[in-house]
Amino acid sequence: MAQEVLRLQNLQKSFGSVRALKNASFTLGEGEVVALLGDNGAGKSTLIKAISGVFPVDRGEIYVRGQKVSIRSTRDAMDLGIETIHQDTSLAPDLSIARNLFLGREPVNLKWLGVFAPLDLAKLRDAASALLKRVGISKKLDADALVSTLSGGERQSIAISRAMQFAAKVIILDEPTNNLGVEETHGVLRFVKEVRDAGHSVLLITHNIHHVFQVADRIIVMRRGEIVAEQTVADTDLLTVESIITGADMSALLREARAK
Amino acid sequence: MTIAAEEEMPGAKRGSSLIRSPQFSSLIILIVLLTVFAVADANFLSPLNISNMMAFLPELGIIALGMTLLLTAGEFDLSVGAVFGLAPVVVMLLVQNGEASIGVALLAGLILCVAIGAINGLIVTKIGISSFLVTLSMLLVVRGAALYITQGFPLKSWDQPGFFVTLLAGSFNIGSFRFYTSLWWFVGLSLLAIYILRYAKLGNWISAIGSNRNAAVARGVPADAVKIWLFILTSVLAGLAGMISAFRISAASPVAGTGYELEVIAMVVVGGTALTGGRGTILGTIVGALMLRAIRNGIVLIGVPGLAYNIFVGVIILAMLILHALLQKNAARG
Repeated sequence: MAQEVLRLQNLQKSFGSVRALKNASFTLGEGEVVALLGDNGAGKSTLIKAISGVFPVDRGEIYVRGQKVSIRSTRDAMDLGIETIHQDTSLAPDLSIARNLFLGREPVNLKWLGVFAPLDLAKLRDAASALLKRVGISKKLDADALVSTLSGGERQSIAISRAMQFAAKVIILDEPTNNLGVEETHGVLRFVKEVRDAGHSVLLITHNIHHVFQVADRIIVMRRGEIVAEQTVADTDLLTVESIITGADMSALLREARAK
Repeated sequence: MTIAAEEEMPGAKRGSSLIRSPQFSSLIILIVLLTVFAVADANFLSPLNISNMMAFLPELGIIALGMTLLLTAGEFDLSVGAVFGLAPVVVMLLVQNGEASIGVALLAGLILCVAIGAINGLIVTKIGISSFLVTLSMLLVVRGAALYITQGFPLKSWDQPGFFVTLLAGSFNIGSFRFYTSLWWFVGLSLLAIYILRYAKLGNWISAIGSNRNAAVARGVPADAVKIWLFILTSVLAGLAGMISAFRISAASPVAGTGYELEVIAMVVVGGTALTGGRGTILGTIVGALMLRAIRNGIVLIGVPGLAYNIFVGVIILAMLILHALLQKNAARG
C-alpha cells in the first residue's frame, strides 16, 4: 500500500445504550479510493461523523500522516485536510458557485475588520474560474451562476472541486451518487478517479456496490458497528461483498478466510 | 469533462438578471404607485406631504434593515414592535425618577434591547425552538412589561433641547422640505447594511446560513453566533427606532409600535427578501419601506375611507408577493 494518510485505531462511540461504533480500525493510503459499505445502521455514518468532527469518539485514536490528532470540530477536520461532502448539505443554493467554493475561507481585503472585512471579489471570481478550469468544468459553468441553477451532478462536482482546492488529504464522499441520473453518476465517478489521480485519498460511502467496483481500490464492510471485512477489489466480487453486507453467508466466508 | 447534459448556459442569463431581480420589479411597482397617487391628488407630492412621509419612513425602515438581515439568515422577530414601545418607556422612567441622566438612560435602554435580542437568539439557536414561537412569546412579555411599568399611561418624553434630542429627532429644512435627523440614521444604516450583506464576509455567511445552514456549519461558519448577533441587532434597531419616535412626538407610549412587527416584515418581503431565508436585498427593503409608507399615505389622500384602507394595503402587499412568486418560478425555469 502507498504511504499511510489516515489511520483509525479502535474507534468506539456509544449513544446512550446503543453502541454505534464498537471497534473500528483501518488505514487509508495516499491516492487510494476506499469504499465503505454496509447496510443502514451499520455504523458508517457514525464513523465518518467521527472523522469529520461532528462529534468526538468515546475511545480510540485517529492518526493523520502518522501524527496522532484530536478532532473536536468540523473546523479541526478541515484544518487537518479532511473534507467531507454530503449530498444535501454541502452547498448553499442561493449563493454563486464562487461564493460557495470559498464559503468559510473567503479571500478578503482589510483583514483586521474581521467578519466585516470586504470580500476580495476579483480574487474570489478569478480563483473560482481557475479552479473550474483546472477540474475541467469551466466550459459548462460560470463562477457567478447561482448553485440553485445547477444539476445534481454539477453540484457534486463543485463540492468535490472545493475539497480538492483546499488540498484536502482525505476526501470523504457520503452517498455522492444518490438521486443522480445515469449520466451524471458516471460523471461523478469519473471525477472521483481524477481526484485520486491528483493524489488525494477518497473514502467513498455508498449503497451502490456497482459503483464501488468501478472506482474503488479497496472495500471495507461494516455491520453492527464493526468492520467485518476488508478486501481489495481485485480479490473479490460483487456477490461475495453483497453477502458480507447482509451477513447472509458469514459462516462460509469465515471458512474461506481461515482457508486462506 | 462533462458532468451534465444540460444545454443551457448559465452565463447567458446574467444580462437580464437585474431586470428579473425582485428589487427591480418592486421598484417599478413603487414608481407606478407614486405616479397614480400623484395624478390622483396633487397634494401627494407637496413638500408638506413628502416631509411627512420622510418623518415616518425611518422609524419603521430602520427596523426593516435589521429584519432583512435576520430573515436572510432564516429567522424572524415578532417582538420588534413591543421593543419599539418598551425601550423609550424605560428610558423616560429612568429619567423621570431621577435615577439617570438622559444619556445614561438611553444607553440603559439600548442595553435592555441587547438583552432581549440575546434571549431571543439563545433560545432559538441553543434550545432549537422556532423563532416564530420564541419571538411571539417575547412580544407578549415585552409589551406586558411596558404596560405594567407605566400602569398603561403614556409618559411625557424628553423635550429639552440638547445633544440627544438633536441626535435622534432634530430637524432641518431643505428649501420648503422639513427633514428629521432620523433620515440620516436611516440612510447611514442602509449603506452599512448594503455593505454587510453584499460585500462583507459576514454577508456571505448570513446568506449561506439562510440558504443551507448545514452547509454553512460544515464549512466552519459559526451559524448560531451569527444568528444571535442578528437577533441582538434587530432588537437594538427596534429600540433605537422607538426612541427616535418618542423624541419626535415628545411622548413615550407603552402601546407604541403595536402591529409594527407585521408591517416591517411586509416591507421586507415586498422588497423581495425571501421569507424562507437565503435571499435578501437591502435595496428591496428600502423600496418596500417607501412603498408601504406611500400606500398608507396615498390611500388616505385619494379619499379611501379610513376604515377601509387596510383592505387596500393588504391587497397591494398580496399582489406584490404574487408577482415575486411568479418571477421566481420563471427564473427557476430559466
